[in-house]
Amino acid sequence: MNDFPELESDLRALRPARPSPVLLERIEEAMVENCRASVSDAGSMAKWRWRFTETPYRFGIGLVAAAAAVVLLLARINTDQTRNQDKEIAQVSPATETRPVLPAFSGGSGADRSISSNKFVPAGATQVVYNTRNEGLQFADGSRQPLRRLRYQTQQTWQWRNPSTGASLRVSYPSEEVVLIPVSGQ
Amino acid sequence: MDNIANHEDWKSCFSEIGPGLLLFARQWTRSAADAEDIVQEAFVKFWRRNHRINNRALLYATVRSIALDFIRRDKRRARREATVVAEADPSVEPQFEWEDEAQSALAAAVSCLPHDQREVLVLKIWSELTFSEIASALGISQNTAASRYRYALANLKKSLQPQ
Repeated sequence: MNDFPELESDLRALRPARPSPVLLERIEEAMVENCRASVSDAGSMAKWRWRFTETPYRFGIGLVAAAAAVVLLLARINTDQTRNQDKEIAQVSPATETRPVLPAFSGGSGADRSISSNKFVPAGATQVVYNTRNEGLQFADGSRQPLRRLRYQTQQTWQWRNPSTGASLRVSYPSEEVVLIPVSGQ
Repeated sequence: MDNIANHEDWKSCFSEIGPGLLLFARQWTRSAADAEDIVQEAFVKFWRRNHRINNRALLYATVRSIALDFIRRDKRRARREATVVAEADPSVEPQFEWEDEAQSALAAAVSCLPHDQREVLVLKIWSELTFSEIASALGISQNTAASRYRYALANLKKSLQPQ
């Protein structure tokens, strides 16, 4: 404001009272208390984070276990069917014809071969994060510490392979993970 | 001074802006002790929320908000203080460190200004906020802030002229 330059300079020469030194100490104490609260909040929030991050993995492990169980069940059914077919063939075929062809222990080893041929071994697992979204800051119940909420969208793929037959099995599913990261006050 | 939370020497930062914050808080409380309580709460709150220290408008808005909450919390006490302040010598409010009679008279004239003009003057002169920042801190338009400032200076000039 150029209308009152002299008055403005007079006003600027007038200095406001300085805060008492006690105020500085009080603020310092409040800052320290705040830091402590932040640390304790961070500890409790770490549990939150663990829970949020671990749950999808647990879910994933459960899914993989279920998939493996299905594979084993199918393999078992397949083996049983092979055994039954062998039995039927053995019953239908004359004994004289089968004996010279198969040795005495060949039936057992044939079944073993059938079981071993249906064994799938883990061949790989991938987790592709295809989207990360920052959902902003939020305050958990009763917490004064802000938390940054991040949402990860991933595609998880698990693969098994049968070394003897070359067959492979692949399970792929989308997963979503929410991570709460305490925003540090430091 | 990018981020108050990362500012290691917050004390020097506070010593720089503290007097202006305190003077601003005094616009509502009329008591140095209460004003210090408000400034402490505002500063720590500002620090905790990881705001940038160069966002001065928000810092002053925080002080104002806490001051208004303070008044609402204790209306009876505020009314009592307002009565006491009204009866007291107005030259003691707001507090300044004056060196001579001229400055003392100027401080008294400032304290007699209407409240809306005085808060703009305090933010402009002693906190060196721009009109844009003042407008943001007080929730008014820039034109209103500028006109209140002009009225404040005109009123001061008028009151300081010899009768």
